Amino acid sequence: MIVRPLGVAALALFFFGAFTPLPTLLYARLAVPTRIGPADAIVVLAGGGVLGDGQLSDTSRRRTALGIELYRDGRAPLLVLSGALGAGAESAARAVLARTCGVADAAMLAVAAGHTTHEEVATLAALLRARGVRRVLLVTDGSHMRRAARLFEAARFEVLPAPVRGLDDPPQPGERILLFHETLREGLALLYYEVAGYF
Amino acid sequence: MTPYLTIALTSLVAYLVAVRRLGMRPSDLPRAVAGVADSLGTGVIFTLVNLAAAGALVLGLRALTGRFFTLYSLDDVVWLVVSLLQGWVWRLWRDAPRPRAPVS
Repeated sequence: MIVRPLGVAALALFFFGAFTPLPTLLYARLAVPTRIGPADAIVVLAGGGVLGDGQLSDTSRRRTALGIELYRDGRAPLLVLSGALGAGAESAARAVLARTCGVADAAMLAVAAGHTTHEEVATLAALLRARGVRRVLLVTDGSHMRRAARLFEAARFEVLPAPVRGLDDPPQPGERILLFHETLREGLALLYYEVAGYF
Repeated sequence: MTPYLTIALTSLVAYLVAVRRLGMRPSDLPRAVAGVADSLGTGVIFTLVNLAAAGALVLGLRALTGRFFTLYSLDDVVWLVVSLLQGWVWRLWRDAPRPRAPVS
């Protein structure tokens, strides 16, 4: 019978996930090291869209804030603020935030780029190529960075990863489970993209 | 770790109450743990089947309607809990005593 071993395995996975550094080790294998440097554009990928009241989600706000910070540090002359299609006006809300933080309209490109990371990168790649961009500072969550960076690299861009810090060393068992879940989910997404031939 | 020490302590107290006051047998405990593993294992099977079916449904709806349906809708802890409950109920039902067939 497979049921009991499966149950034991699930219990073991749960306890290893909650009470050992296993999630952190797996996440470290998935994560891409930060490499900040001069680039042609800072690209902030969509994340979480906007909430019912029109405010950016936490994920979207954190990514946007890092993009603005990099722009204000003079890392690139262009700040690209992406947003998901059909998720409210994420890119527009990001542009408002960037403007409030002193980013000029001429230095900003806000675009609703797609439903999935694959669609988003395809749309952005065409826009960036048209502007002569070759080297991008890519801003997204740490767990999402490997998949996003591989898509840009497949589109022949040089990628400097600038991941937003997340749950990279959680102290509580519940947070470790969240990190474990995030890592497994992103692992599955990577596998799906690999099988679909997106890289 | 304090909440987990509390759980260890209440487990010990429950064990002592069960054995000394309620007359439950320690030799039955491994069978109870095995029952939990069986329920959880069944829940995992339901989870995997639900995941595959829902993923196929999302991708199928995308292909059939041309509209976008997100796979992130599968990324929900409540959905996982409900799948595990499905497994638990299935297991209890399967293990329930069945009436004997009438002798003809």
